[in-house]
Amino acid sequence: MLTNNNSNKMFFLFILFFSTLISISSNSWFGCWIGLEINLLSFIPLISNSKNLLSVETSLKYFLTQSLASINFLFMILIKFSLLKNFNMNNIISIMMNSSLLMKMGSAPFHFWFPNIVEGLSWMNNFMLMTWQKISPMILLSYYFNKNFLIFMIIMNLIIGSLGGLNQTSLRKLLAFSSINNLGWMIFSIMISENLWLFYFLIYSMMIFMMISLFFLMNMYFMNQLFINNMNFFIKLNLLINFLSLGGLPPFMGFMPKWIIINFLLINKFYFLTFIFMMTSLIIIYYYIRIIYSSFMFNYFKMKWVNLLMKNNMSLINLSSFISISSMILSTFIFM
Amino acid sequence: MCFNSFFFLFFFMLINFFFFVYFIMNGLSVFFEWEIISFNSMSIVMSILLDWMSLLFMMFVSLISSVVIFYSKSYMNSELNLNRFIILVLMFVFSMVLLIISPNLISILLGWDGLGLISYCLVIYYQNLKSYNAGMLTALSNRIGDVMILMVICWVMNYGSWNYIFYFDFMKNDYVMFIISFMIIIAAMTKSAQIPFSSWLPAAMAAPTPVSALVHSSTLVTAGVYLLIRFNYLLIDMFFFKVLLFLSILTMFMSGISANYEFDLKKIIALSTLSQLGLMMSILSLGFPDIAFFHLLTHAMFKALLFMCAGVIIHMMNDIQDIRYMGGLSLYIPLTSLCLNISNLSLCGIPFLSGFYSKDLILEMVSFNSFNLMVFILFYLSTGLTVFYTFRLIMYVMINDFNLMMIYNLYDEDYIMLNSMFVLLFMSLLSGSFLSWFIFSYPYMIYLPFNLKLMVIYVSILGSILGFMVSNMGIYSLNKLLLSYNLSSFLCLMWFMPNLSTYGLSYIYLNFSQILFKNIDMGWSEIYSGKGIFNILKNYSVFYNIYQMNNFKIYLFSFILWFMILFIFFFI
Repeated sequence: MLTNNNSNKMFFLFILFFSTLISISSNSWFGCWIGLEINLLSFIPLISNSKNLLSVETSLKYFLTQSLASINFLFMILIKFSLLKNFNMNNIISIMMNSSLLMKMGSAPFHFWFPNIVEGLSWMNNFMLMTWQKISPMILLSYYFNKNFLIFMIIMNLIIGSLGGLNQTSLRKLLAFSSINNLGWMIFSIMISENLWLFYFLIYSMMIFMMISLFFLMNMYFMNQLFINNMNFFIKLNLLINFLSLGGLPPFMGFMPKWIIINFLLINKFYFLTFIFMMTSLIIIYYYIRIIYSSFMFNYFKMKWVNLLMKNNMSLINLSSFISISSMILSTFIFM
Repeated sequence: MCFNSFFFLFFFMLINFFFFVYFIMNGLSVFFEWEIISFNSMSIVMSILLDWMSLLFMMFVSLISSVVIFYSKSYMNSELNLNRFIILVLMFVFSMVLLIISPNLISILLGWDGLGLISYCLVIYYQNLKSYNAGMLTALSNRIGDVMILMVICWVMNYGSWNYIFYFDFMKNDYVMFIISFMIIIAAMTKSAQIPFSSWLPAAMAAPTPVSALVHSSTLVTAGVYLLIRFNYLLIDMFFFKVLLFLSILTMFMSGISANYEFDLKKIIALSTLSQLGLMMSILSLGFPDIAFFHLLTHAMFKALLFMCAGVIIHMMNDIQDIRYMGGLSLYIPLTSLCLNISNLSLCGIPFLSGFYSKDLILEMVSFNSFNLMVFILFYLSTGLTVFYTFRLIMYVMINDFNLMMIYNLYDEDYIMLNSMFVLLFMSLLSGSFLSWFIFSYPYMIYLPFNLKLMVIYVSILGSILGFMVSNMGIYSLNKLLLSYNLSSFLCLMWFMPNLSTYGLSYIYLNFSQILFKNIDMGWSEIYSGKGIFNILKNYSVFYNIYQMNNFKIYLFSFILWFMILFIFFFI
């Protein structure tokens, strides 16, 4: 495409939304596959910008992995129809189908493309990638999953998400690994019920939106950019609250979905899995706090020659802080 | 703030006085009770017992505290935060009043703990190292008593309420009462600094002098005696009372000896307080609670006066407390030396001052009833020692030559301090006879042979002569202290008991905890949980990054590899 203006983006965005809806509301596996393909096809123009070599390369990588996954998915569907007569009692096919869907999502062990691609995209595209693109593979996963396999995948997700992020300085890669970690939580919630997954996913996407919009407004891509500008107090506070909320610290908003999922874990007697969930959560919180701790101590590191001005749309920041802090308490009023 | 609290406390004292006279003349006693909460079988009530004993004690406490607050307006006038000091003193008085009027163990605990805590705050008021150490010693020794009272509260729950005064007649021979009496005695011993716990009282002289006058002479240390007076009906036939007799007599004796070796003015007065406390405790454990109460009150008067005079002298000597630098002060500060002399002589038991009535009564009761030879000897010996160190003090401070500097200005005309001392002077002259006429509605029957009656005077004269002789030190006099160094240091340092209760108790644990800290906190637990885990995770992350930073075709290939692995793995 020659120009990359907003009307093109709107068009492809519309098709992107529509494709997810096709995928999740079809009553045949073919429909699902069609939706996935249209998803891929409409996302590529959104992320590729022919003026920038990095984004071209990123979109190419994205195309390759996703198409590999789609091909795999189609193949397994066909095998399931033709050779095994659509019985539901076969293990192998469910494993293969789940693997391909996991590759679509960017879950371990097929996640190697995910941090790379996230590094090459802008913040808003990242937001799309991390939230919307996960919907249809998740729901398709819920139609036909293999419990043991998925538990193994969950554990791998959690561990890789936490350990991989320890050594990163790029904020995008950090959020990518955190996204992989949260995928572990989400896959488990899919195994319990779709409603639960929806709850977790909504809150997760809200938190990610707040963070990404903050970084987008400040145009920050790397960790050292957090320290060399002169943020005013509300931005720092918002950053603090959102990171802690993402890490799942009470009383912020992000604690609620994790709490409920741990509740279900313990009801279903997944004790060791609970342990792994919690320990990896701690590692994640460690590297969140490592990002923000110096900015909210009394003597913080502050360079005075770069001054971050308050922009016009800072009301969004205040609103998002308010939501993060008060959601847990206010949510009790909803269910009254 | 000073004047307000002074007037308030003085007015309170007058109210208490009038009520006391009314109550003791009519034999009344009033009991207020307010039930706070009642659950299952225990009920927490807040009760107030007003009988003549508590009213009299409250009157004395409020008199001394009002005078001390007035005194501290001038003594502590260079203190920036004088309001804080006054508030602490007022809180102390409040805790003491709570202790006095309560027939109920929970409010006794509140008063008792309040006393311990606020005396800690007051001892560390000058924030230097010595005050900190002294405060820690004070607070922790008092804490033992607090723990004992807490346990008594726990044990008394067997009886259904915490109003102990109702249970004395009925439950005397019960096993539970046995344990309760043991704990109460230990609590009183910690508060009144008897032998195992006596190291805090000389150390607490690091407090400002008004604090010493109020707290360490008359109120805090007598709280233990007061508690035992209240519990007296319970404790009379118990074995522990005899143990208490033994320990308090030894306290009396030991502090009398140690005061003779001391050269710090406030420490001498502290040790004399300790000696008189031993006297009070011993006469209490011999079975005479009212005489103990009488001596408590008269002692409060002259001891507070003595401390206040000491404060004036210390101010004049440019904050030097060592008596070797003082001398001949009677020539220069007549009014202060008047108060000092009268309170000292009252302490010795010179006839017809206030101390005479109580001390002489005690000694005559000891001689009249048939007690142990050791009890008898130690009582009279301690009386002689009291006179000994008193006269030594008077010789050093008042009579011998002035030792400080060539040019001096001894300022006696601070009428704020002097007026407050005059009030106590008036009381310490008259309170002996006044109290004996009120408290003892009929005199005790005492019938003694002539020499035994005069035994007090004999030991007093002997003590005064010895005091005179000991204080004749000049440039060329031989310091015999060094010839008997071991014995002298044993007697001087309070028979080494402070070392036992401070260094002896804490050294092993501190040493052990240093070993633990170095080896575990800063050693192994760093490897196994602190930095060690971080290093492990970091290495894992570095290891993972090697896989992450690769070519894209490696990723694609790894996907296929993973497919095959998972296929095989889960197929089986």
